[in-house]
Amino acid sequence: MTTIQAALSGALLGGLYALMAAGVSVTWGVLRIINLAHFGLLLLGAYLTFELASTWRIDPLLTLAVTVPALAVLGAALQWVFDRLGITELNSLLLTFGLLIIVVQAISNIWSADFQRMTAEVNPYATEALHLGRLAFPLPTLLAFGLASAVILSGHLVLTRTFLGRALRAYAEDRAVASAFGVDHRRIGVLLAAASGGSAAIAGMLFSLGSALTPATAFEWFGTVFAVVILGGVGHLIGTYTAGLFVGMLSGVVSVVLSPAAAPFVLFSAIVLALLLRPQGLFAVGTAR
Amino acid sequence: MLEITGLDAYYGDAQALWGIDLSVGPGETVSVIGPNGAGKSTLVNVIAGLHPARRGTITLAGVNLTKMPAHRVCSQGVATVPEGRRVFPEMSVYDNLCLGAYRKEARAEYRQTLLRVYELFPVLEQRLQQRAGSLSGGEQQMLAIGRALMAKPKLLLLDEPSLGLAPVVIDEVFEALRTINEQGVSVLLVEQEVERALELSTRGYLLAEGRVVASGPSDWLRDSDQARQSVLGV
Amino acid sequence: MTREGSRGMARGGAGAMTRGIAGVMDRDRAGAMGRGLARVARRRALIAFPLVIAGMAVLSLYRVTLGFPLEYLVLLTTMLFWITQATSWNILSGFTGYFSFGQAAYVGIGAYTTAVLFGRHGLNFYLTILLAAVLSALLALAIGALAFRLRALRGEIFALLTLAVPFILAALARINQSIDGGQGIIVTVPDFPSGVGLFQDYLYLLNLLVAGSAVAVAFWIQHSRFGWALSAIRDGEEVAEGLGVATFRYKLLALLASAVIGAVGGSIFALQIGFVTVESVFHLTIPLFVIVMSVLGGRTHWLGPVLGVVIVVLLQDRLTVSGLRQWQLIVLGAVLAALVVVAPDGLYARLRNRPVAALIAAVAVGLGWLLVPGTGLLDALLAGILAAALVAMWPHYRRRTAAVASVGGAPVNGPSADGLSADGLSADRVPADESPVVMGPAAGAEPRTDGPAPSAANETELVAAAAAPPDTADASSDRASSVRPVVLGEPLIECHEVARYFGGVRALDGVNLTIREGEIVGLVGPNGSGKTTLISLMAGSLRPTRGTIRVGGHDLTQLAPHRVAHVGVARTYQIPRPFASMTVRDNVAMAVMFGRSPRSLSAARELAEGPLDVVGLGEYADSYPSALNLHQRQLLEMARALAADPRVLLLDEALAGLTPAEIDNAVAVVRRVHASGVAIVLVEHLLRVVKQLATRIVVLDRGTCLAEGDPDEVLADPAVVRAYLGKRAHA
Repeated sequence: MTTIQAALSGALLGGLYALMAAGVSVTWGVLRIINLAHFGLLLLGAYLTFELASTWRIDPLLTLAVTVPALAVLGAALQWVFDRLGITELNSLLLTFGLLIIVVQAISNIWSADFQRMTAEVNPYATEALHLGRLAFPLPTLLAFGLASAVILSGHLVLTRTFLGRALRAYAEDRAVASAFGVDHRRIGVLLAAASGGSAAIAGMLFSLGSALTPATAFEWFGTVFAVVILGGVGHLIGTYTAGLFVGMLSGVVSVVLSPAAAPFVLFSAIVLALLLRPQGLFAVGTAR
Repeated sequence: MLEITGLDAYYGDAQALWGIDLSVGPGETVSVIGPNGAGKSTLVNVIAGLHPARRGTITLAGVNLTKMPAHRVCSQGVATVPEGRRVFPEMSVYDNLCLGAYRKEARAEYRQTLLRVYELFPVLEQRLQQRAGSLSGGEQQMLAIGRALMAKPKLLLLDEPSLGLAPVVIDEVFEALRTINEQGVSVLLVEQEVERALELSTRGYLLAEGRVVASGPSDWLRDSDQARQSVLGV
Repeated sequence: MTREGSRGMARGGAGAMTRGIAGVMDRDRAGAMGRGLARVARRRALIAFPLVIAGMAVLSLYRVTLGFPLEYLVLLTTMLFWITQATSWNILSGFTGYFSFGQAAYVGIGAYTTAVLFGRHGLNFYLTILLAAVLSALLALAIGALAFRLRALRGEIFALLTLAVPFILAALARINQSIDGGQGIIVTVPDFPSGVGLFQDYLYLLNLLVAGSAVAVAFWIQHSRFGWALSAIRDGEEVAEGLGVATFRYKLLALLASAVIGAVGGSIFALQIGFVTVESVFHLTIPLFVIVMSVLGGRTHWLGPVLGVVIVVLLQDRLTVSGLRQWQLIVLGAVLAALVVVAPDGLYARLRNRPVAALIAAVAVGLGWLLVPGTGLLDALLAGILAAALVAMWPHYRRRTAAVASVGGAPVNGPSADGLSADGLSADRVPADESPVVMGPAAGAEPRTDGPAPSAANETELVAAAAAPPDTADASSDRASSVRPVVLGEPLIECHEVARYFGGVRALDGVNLTIREGEIVGLVGPNGSGKTTLISLMAGSLRPTRGTIRVGGHDLTQLAPHRVAHVGVARTYQIPRPFASMTVRDNVAMAVMFGRSPRSLSAARELAEGPLDVVGLGEYADSYPSALNLHQRQLLEMARALAADPRVLLLDEALAGLTPAEIDNAVAVVRRVHASGVAIVLVEHLLRVVKQLATRIVVLDRGTCLAEGDPDEVLADPAVVRAYLGKRAHA
């Protein structure tokens, strides 16, 4: 694979990483909750897609009609519970860690720890690819990039152009004053969590289109997702998007130029450098998130 | 409009407000003056729903606000200009203002209200897309007031708007307050600038150590020795 | 006492007047008691530990003679392994509050070092243990150097970094042929002394040795100065820094200790499993287990992880035996989630509150279970322990007011007061609608654009004070240096053209101020004039945007945060921030231990008596801060600041909300302090008090110095009156 191919494919994949990371990042920035259970939702989204497609013969893309509402509700319910219990940052890490383990184990119990993959029969997208000259882009990757970008862009528009978005941003900056202007913390928390859950459903589906699934995958996502969150700046949606593309591209290039093994290190080094030089996020821009 | 009776408030086990009785009539401007630590800000926070009241009642146009959380108090028509301004620093001036109109009753007309705010504070219109944190103190104060006006409030709470501002700027701010006053909004003004506060208001309350120690028409209050004594300790 | 009189006292002859006899006897007694308890604890430990270890060793060495079943030995071995790991985790994460999710990294490094060097290349087994420890330490250094330096979000960033590290290492091992290459490594059994018995015995004894050492280290740390520093970091890192605790250094040391212990355990683990693969040693279940075990048992005490391990391993064993293996992780995840919500402080503290009830429950249920057909000893044991745990954990709301007697000086995780612990895992939860998100003067109305993002814990610290007549025993702190020459002298703090901006707001703009030895400077001004900002700048917790501040000749901006305390500046906070898990005396002792001339714990406890007597908190010395009302906590702030042996004391509205009688008393306290040779800067709103106390008044207005000089003159200055009252001043 040429470097260009690797870079571009990587960048496309990066869109998906960005979508995965978006939920965690915005929830952390606004609600001050680090939600490790999000990875559980991602995994659940992927497995549900697999199940619905394989057993019920529903087109993977159409399964979103079921998974998005389901995970949105689940996410919202979790947030509602967190809010009632008054969970704060470090507490949330532990609590959601516990929940994540529960979800992963449950998934393992239900679907076994073997690798699962949607067959070509139920997943018509896996085998297609777009050819541009000597470059080839598998359809799942393109879909992932396209849909992820669309979701993030809509999220950005909501954050910057709507009243709800302003409420979220204001709340992230100054809870007291925001609530003095009518921002109900419980309501926006739940709404945000629902959106995050929905995004997890979409991201999970996109992932399952192109990869095999195993329960341990949830943990493999940690490194990449948190790299994206930190590089993009906690709570900055556009920053997260850019960071996702960057991380994807970097991983892709490094895998080809050096070796696949080197990718985690380069990534790790990137995080380290970013934390040293610009802790607020490499790609976080000053104004409107 | 605003009726407060027997209000007690605590911070943990320490009592900060003792049996406050206070009222603001429709369209009236009332000031609350007193030395630091008297509980003026506590009073504002309690009315706004940001701090719980232990005893007593707060009613606004007949609605009991006492146990309501801040966001519900806001929807009843109370808007606050916090001490130290507290604009949202990372958001633009425009976004700050729009956030002011977040409550349902204000949202529908936010465009018209914006125009009125621009009229009152032209400098804000000039700096619409600027980050609020980069504004000067006076501009931030105007933004904070504008933001509160966007909520189309029945009652406007101002907590020390003159804080840290140069005299010339304070003049501008208080001019604006006078205009607002004339437009019929009820105003509760907590201030350290005893002079200006009493000039603007019809009635005043002198708060010291959590209690109302004197109240009456502004002129009378201004000339009283009590006020001077409480604040300066002389 | 008139101002002339107090000045006279300040200028000369302070020694005889202020060194009172009263309180000396009390002080000695209390100090001796504190020292005695610590000694008792250590002596007990010196006897108990070896006995326990020896006893456990006997189980193996004389296993056959005793008829001790082998499968129990295996179970104990598992427990010992986890005790090592959980203790390792607790030394850092429990004691300091910096949660690590990366325990698997240490185990992995340990296991792979041994597997590769011994298993594959035949290097001496014990040598590989040493190498593993070194490698692990290097990794810890790297992580700590990075994560602990960041000021904002350091707890969270650290946790996430530690989450990612094991994966990176696992990837490295998996891909790299010279390490693992995806195949796994076989580790054969090394030669061991024949007298030991079976390989299983050997493994058991190895683990016993390591676990015993780990627990001993944890015990030693907890009872040492190091441990106190860690507790202070957990309870309030910034405050600790302000007292002179070198937080970065201590955190790094704890991390190193944790890493070394974990790696040593991991080396032996390689031996145990015999076939080392990436999945088996880097698995996420390792940190999960370790966290659950420590949180369950109690994170602030060395015994906590041991308790937690026993319960979890037993539970896991029984679940496996009954065929419920699949549910193991689900149960553990649920336990963790429940613990975080219900009992974050763990079992140990709760057992200490109800030892008898728990014991009765354990015995009763345990024996009863034995009677049930088909169950064995282990089932009964588990049932008994669970019953005891349940009884101990049962909600008990009196917990908060009773001061738990501290035995052996162990910093028991006492009741945590309203949101005082900054690590978030406090027993307090902000009830939904009552969340005290307040607006208003958090710190003199400075915009919050600098510093770390305020956590919910910060927002619950609200300002006020209640009335409580302090004891006015007249004693002074025992200072190493005797009477200082208190002639108005040498400049202690010099602020030159100091400015501080917050975004577009100029809190201070070109202030020149010098604080001299022997002065009491009253810093006054209307709200928002910049007083608290100036105090923060002089205390070194804020950096000036422009200008310089020199303290005792040192440029303040060049000093690390914890060194500021050592140059002789101490401050009180408007909102008291005591260390919640320490007694009042120990709070003050902290300042002595880490102040300008470091002392040992016992010496510090003695020296703490002095400041406590000066402020009148002597009788509360053994209580916890949560038992004090807010006013008393303010006095504690002052005592703690005094104990740091400062040359300048910055009092930030220390008299807020006191009754007139208390104010008079507080004034007397401040006078005593001043007389003992400490210059004072007093930020106060009560102008009559300032007039009484101050030798000089500085009036700030809108960030600049408006007037300065003799109190009476300054306060009569029309410009000053105008600043306070407005345009037209009335005579």
